[in-house]
Amino acid sequence: MSAAVVAMEDVGFILATYIATFVGSVALAAYYLRRGRRLAAQLPPEDKPWG
Amino acid sequence: MFRIARLIAAKDLRIELRSRVVTNQVLPFAMIVMVMFAFALKTDEVVEKVAPGLVWLATLFSLLILVQRAFAIETADGATEAMRAAGVDPAGIFLGKALALAAQLAVLEILLLILAVVLYNSKLHAGGVVLLVTTLLAATIGLALVGTLYGGLAAGVRGRETLLPLLLLPVVAPVLIGATRATEAALGTSGAVVSDGWPWLGLLGVFVALFSVGGTLAFGPLIEE
Amino acid sequence: MPDTDTSAMQLTTDQASDAARSAARSAASSSVRRSSPTGTPFTRVLGIATLISMALLVLFGLFLSPEDVVQGESVRILYIHVGTVWVAYVAFGVTALASLAFLWKRTTSLTWDRIAGASAEVGVLFMALTLFAGAIWGRLSWGKFWVWDARVTTTAFLFITYIGYLAVRGLGGSHQQRGRRSAVVALLAVLEIPLVHFSVKLWRGLHQDGSVSDTTKVKLHDLMLFSLFISLIAFTLLFVWLVMHRQRVLAMQDALEDKGLDFALEQRRSEAGL
Repeated sequence: MSAAVVAMEDVGFILATYIATFVGSVALAAYYLRRGRRLAAQLPPEDKPWG
Repeated sequence: MFRIARLIAAKDLRIELRSRVVTNQVLPFAMIVMVMFAFALKTDEVVEKVAPGLVWLATLFSLLILVQRAFAIETADGATEAMRAAGVDPAGIFLGKALALAAQLAVLEILLLILAVVLYNSKLHAGGVVLLVTTLLAATIGLALVGTLYGGLAAGVRGRETLLPLLLLPVVAPVLIGATRATEAALGTSGAVVSDGWPWLGLLGVFVALFSVGGTLAFGPLIEE
Repeated sequence: MPDTDTSAMQLTTDQASDAARSAARSAASSSVRRSSPTGTPFTRVLGIATLISMALLVLFGLFLSPEDVVQGESVRILYIHVGTVWVAYVAFGVTALASLAFLWKRTTSLTWDRIAGASAEVGVLFMALTLFAGAIWGRLSWGKFWVWDARVTTTAFLFITYIGYLAVRGLGGSHQQRGRRSAVVALLAVLEIPLVHFSVKLWRGLHQDGSVSDTTKVKLHDLMLFSLFISLIAFTLLFVWLVMHRQRVLAMQDALEDKGLDFALEQRRSEAGL
């Protein structure tokens, strides 16, 4: 995409950063959602006032 | 509040005088730490240069043990709960324990300074004495306040003591930086001059102010069960 | 709850890798939207907005924005780094404010305490990501993973401090105790930030080893500035989404603990024949 010469190792680091960030965020999100599902199964609706 | 503080401080110090835990265990620990620092560093020149930092590091590590000890004597018989149930002002407990801790710390620091002169070839000189003494005072008070505060938080219940180093060491970072730089100035290490040290003393002062107010306010809610 | 068509989430991009990445994200989100008890219509919309802005971030950050005159391609890390550090500090601000609110009202409103906890948890993640991206960027820009200047050191300090905060939250005891203890720790930590920042600044300022933080002044033009804004928006949306869900999970956890306690008490009572 860019016209200039790209140092090959740089690209690796940059991609690694983006991937690590997204993997980390998705992992945390998945953990929260899974936890939520498991806990919600054990509780009656009055303990879930938001939904 | 101050009457309670005096009573509590006297009690803590009396316990120490009778049990001699600090003199028999903590001071030797500090001495060993100072010796091991020298082992870890390569040359005399390096050691001489970093001596002030080593003194304060050894102080901080010893602080952890001192704080643990200060609260172990409380939780052993549920003394803190009893005091609170009796309506003793928590701010008074806080100041009293901090005072006792400060006294023990001061003894420790003086010993470590002497050791630095002996082991690390640090040189005390007349021009820096005022700065040195004020730094010791300010840093000691600051460390005692913070130590008592977080010690109260982490005291007693099993599994809580291991938390103390993690909580306390980051918090005392400004004291480490400030006290070390001021001590360097007072001792003339690495070409520092006494006038370099006074800004750092200001920093220590802010730290003391912050935690004397914050600690007095926060100690009550923290030990409330 | 009906899911929206996942194909609507498939954004066309130039690169296969980007398509793969958004496919993975939408797959995760669709499997999750099937039954998400901590979700509400608001968080669903928020989630979609987050995914869209993240995709835009990747598009602009990695592809459409130009490389920097000085920094070259490594400036692209900045689009992640600035976003995460922004959120990390916002998170700790939220924790501090929520802690203040909890102590102030002294009500049984543990919601404030839970918001503080949720925000700190998310903050720790973003702090870690910030330090990671920052280290990589430092390595590429000036050859070092780390530099002892005020901003970097304070960030590391905050990171460790909030790990300690989370440990304090895990100490046990009643929910009120937890709230009180962690609120105090959070507020003291926040008050210490300027102190730490200033001490490091004073410390390193005296040494002047070519303070490297000055070379972080990057000239920002148009697309680069735009990419930065997208980053800020995307990560802020993500932050809010994560904290809302986490707060609700914590609420359920607390409710479950209370029920467990009630149940145990009931058992004891029936055993005693009351």
